[in-house]
Amino acid sequence: MSVPTTQRPTGTETATGRLGDITLLPDGIPKVTGDFAYSSDLWMDDMLWGVTLRSPHPRARVRSIDIGAALATAGVTAVLTHEDVPGSKYYGLEIADQPVLAVDEVRYTGEPVAIVAADHPETARRAAAKIVVDYEVLDPITDSRAAMSPDSPLVHATPTQDHYPGGGNILRHVRIRRGDPTLTADVVVTGEYDVGMQDQAFLGPESGLAVPAEDGGVDLFIATQWLHVDQRQVAESLGLPEDKVRLSLAGVGGAFGAREDVSMQIHACLLALRTNKPIKMVYSREESFYGHVHRHPATMRYEHGANRDGTLVYVKCEVVLDGGAYASSSPAVVSNAASFAVGPYNCDNVLIDGYILYTNNPPCGAMRGFGAVQVCFGHESQMDKLAAALGIDPVELRIHNAMAEGSLMPTGQVVEGAAPVAELLRRVKDAPLPAAAPTDSYDLRALPGGVSNTTHGEGVRRGVGYAVGFKNVGYSEGFDDFSTARVRLEVVGGELVATVHTAAAEVGQGLITVMAQIARTELGVEQVINQPADTSIGTAGSTSASRQTYCTGGAVQAACEAVRDGILAMASARGLSVEGAALRDGKIVAADGAAVASVADLLGEEIVEETREFHHRPTEPLTRDLGAPGDIGQGAAHLQFAFAAHRVVADVDVELGLVRLVEVTTAQDVGKALNPLSVVGQIQGGTTQGIGLALMEEIQVKDGKIRNPSFTDYLIPTILDTPPMQVQVLELGDPHAPYGLRGVGEPPTISSTPAVVSALRAATGRPLTRVPVRPEHITGT
Amino acid sequence: MRQFGYERPEYAADAVALAERPEVRYLAGGTNLVDLMKLGVETPDLLVDVSALPYEFVQEDLDGLVRIGAGVRNSDLAAHALIRSRYPVLAQAVLAGASGQLRNMATVGGNLLQRTRCVYFQDVSKPCNKRMPGSGCPARKGDHHNLAILGASDQCIATNPSDMAVALTALDAVVHVQDHAGPHEVPLAELYRLPGSDPQRETTLAPGALITAVDLPTLPFARRSRYRKARERASYSFAIGSVAAALDVEGDVVRDVRLAFGAVAPVPWRARTAEAALVGGPVNEEAFRAAAEAELAAAEPLRDNAYKVPLITNLVVRTLAELAAGS
Repeated sequence: MSVPTTQRPTGTETATGRLGDITLLPDGIPKVTGDFAYSSDLWMDDMLWGVTLRSPHPRARVRSIDIGAALATAGVTAVLTHEDVPGSKYYGLEIADQPVLAVDEVRYTGEPVAIVAADHPETARRAAAKIVVDYEVLDPITDSRAAMSPDSPLVHATPTQDHYPGGGNILRHVRIRRGDPTLTADVVVTGEYDVGMQDQAFLGPESGLAVPAEDGGVDLFIATQWLHVDQRQVAESLGLPEDKVRLSLAGVGGAFGAREDVSMQIHACLLALRTNKPIKMVYSREESFYGHVHRHPATMRYEHGANRDGTLVYVKCEVVLDGGAYASSSPAVVSNAASFAVGPYNCDNVLIDGYILYTNNPPCGAMRGFGAVQVCFGHESQMDKLAAALGIDPVELRIHNAMAEGSLMPTGQVVEGAAPVAELLRRVKDAPLPAAAPTDSYDLRALPGGVSNTTHGEGVRRGVGYAVGFKNVGYSEGFDDFSTARVRLEVVGGELVATVHTAAAEVGQGLITVMAQIARTELGVEQVINQPADTSIGTAGSTSASRQTYCTGGAVQAACEAVRDGILAMASARGLSVEGAALRDGKIVAADGAAVASVADLLGEEIVEETREFHHRPTEPLTRDLGAPGDIGQGAAHLQFAFAAHRVVADVDVELGLVRLVEVTTAQDVGKALNPLSVVGQIQGGTTQGIGLALMEEIQVKDGKIRNPSFTDYLIPTILDTPPMQVQVLELGDPHAPYGLRGVGEPPTISSTPAVVSALRAATGRPLTRVPVRPEHITGT
Repeated sequence: MRQFGYERPEYAADAVALAERPEVRYLAGGTNLVDLMKLGVETPDLLVDVSALPYEFVQEDLDGLVRIGAGVRNSDLAAHALIRSRYPVLAQAVLAGASGQLRNMATVGGNLLQRTRCVYFQDVSKPCNKRMPGSGCPARKGDHHNLAILGASDQCIATNPSDMAVALTALDAVVHVQDHAGPHEVPLAELYRLPGSDPQRETTLAPGALITAVDLPTLPFARRSRYRKARERASYSFAIGSVAAALDVEGDVVRDVRLAFGAVAPVPWRARTAEAALVGGPVNEEAFRAAAEAELAAAEPLRDNAYKVPLITNLVVRTLAELAAGS
């Protein structure tokens, strides 16, 4: 196999530390210094460059495509359209509804229509501009609520396969009914809330290198979240068996859900096989905004009924998510949105309708929080509103209704393990508040507007807000979610070395550290090597749903236990007594603590290697509405729930509409912190991403076109927008999970957004029903 | 991107001779031009790189006039001791713009000529009277959240995005220009044009004209001057409204004042109506507010940018109040 001359991403080296130790990420320093090799750095001397021609229209019929002038351009080696896709012309994570290259219709602005390979990227771009596409432009369907109407034109006139029951443009309709939602209540509050389209805003654009192989297959070096799901889709579209499509993980510059879907993977492989040359593709920043899915914009309607004492009587919710042109992971996102629509509260009577629509907007899919983010803004806004209507402290109202171990979800699922909703809320409420802003002196950096010098304290009001949220860890609704790990123990140069191999994608979250910590702890060995992730081993599942430490950590643990059993069996075969023994510090240590043998001496030239799969406990699909009476949308659909609460203190310039967050306090149960520093890093980063959604992050889509596809115009928080954070980590332990751990990555993103807005409401007295909140919403102008 | 040639002359006359054709653009820091070339908004066939020209100076003449070379990088300008001490409003405005990396590249001349951030101007698939005269203006009914409330026309409501130019406008800066007719001077207030019926013409510069320097007249009371900028994050974002001000107070009376607004008009907006209302008047918030309101009486806000009227009013009151308190 040809291998790119660019070095493997650095950072696969040995980390240090055992389980529970604070361990620095080995790829951290190379990333900061610029030495880390990202997928966009891949290079082979004889490679060609691939570029993509994209639709300028959100909805149009493709009458014809003329590639003649493009193909005749000097330096151009190939120009491909849908006619050149040998296998499946459609792909998708769950529903294969997305054309590899547009066939007869384009459904969103930026949809790939043709691909070009040339000896220079600029040559390829110029050739792509010579492709003549004859479009019959159609009126786009861009309003998700209007798209629900039976009168609406269809985004997919001929569905490529049976979707979920819904009909028309409804990609999926999740109905949850439990108890009696027709009850009346002492106090009723209603609200409508909107969430804008957020981008994952990873820094490393989509990129990779496809290398044709002598066996007629292809090797793809790619930044992705799930090698095997890419492999399946690439192989299907190439018309090749999966073993001829081999993927290796290249350096990933952030993901957050945006790398779950295929972007340039199939395109690069098509060009590589056509030209018989390595093909490199790297999206520009603008193209990247069109090249991956985004967080679904949402419109939500809520009605909460409660007794005078604050007890929730019923909750009704309708959430409408704009799925954009293709399905991506939308069916799972809307299921989550429905599951978590009430929030982590007890309520016996619920009526929830979650809709996800096809439109001609950019496709939306996975992003950190995955459906729980949107509804958390809804239910937490409602809890504040209800508290105000009842005259009850908003934190006490939440605690009064807080879910606990044994509570029932709206889906009827019993919440198992720790569900410390009340404790998380108490902790953030009881944490000391920051000092009041000084009135006799000012530091511009600490004021709304910061160094822009907009206020020296004039017009500034302080507000404090709270929110709590939760979501599922791992894949849900009956999906067989698992990971695979191979662990080898051997003596190299007189030293005991463990090698860990999985296909799990390290995307910056710190899994490589955790895998080494597990092996080091389980096998009592100092030196652990993580082998680069690739498809020569079984799937690890996706680096998403906060699941990788759970699932791949579980697989590494299982493989380590098998290796340990192998070592002990060897020892036993040599007449040593190993009853109850463990491996520690390179030795077999008996139950009484006495060293029985040196593992290195025992192994000699031999190698012990074991491969194990770890499947998490099965989950159930939600029951569907079959016209039968009784509860519907029920089932133990989720594996594990993860909870976090936030308190936000904000200084708000109520005259200019500018915000300075003074401090964020957050508490989260992580079950067991395998690498406590990574845990805090995840919580800080996730909280910041939620702050971004609250205050500034929005892809502005008008008439189906993204208006701000750059980091100049799509604003993400800078460090000046990011406040100090008090992070409280609880380790309450989940008896069902490896090491008792609970997924960490997503919960902080979920509750930080509504906590920020709650603080802004407290400061301004305004309802603020849409995120991101803009200055004119704060000033009411 | 269209293919283009590249020249890097060492003399201004050579640069001007190369640049007279409309397909030629000067390249300085490239922080705006190159982005626009990538978007296909600018399609020059020749770039004339002016970085070899001797315009990286800040100097003071015997009368106290400060001359800034057009090639001075934004970072250097903001850090210059003369600017920081005599014209703090200018140093603050420059520092409020862009990011550290961009300021290290961007020049004074380039900053003055940067183009609007209007999304329709930047999107070549959409009509735009500025980019394609006569094609129409979708912004008036479309996305105009950060577009003009003052000085616009039915042809164009784009805003000038510069922070630096707002401060220079308040300071009565004079621009040195070299064109085919030789060197001459243009008051900054006369450099920019309102869009009227031909929004594609943003300046009064002749084709191929090269900005070589900017003069700052002596203005002793500018030692007390301020730039305040409202934006949607704490750093590296364009203004949604900004105010540059210098205030001269004698006793309880405003003796003199300079006031300019950013992000509200197609040009850096000199608030002469407000200045006239203030001079000779009392030094209090009511007077400041009344002056701002007088200036903004001419505002024609649209559906989504009406917030700029109170935003600017509040910024004016605060900025002048701060300057007054320090007098």
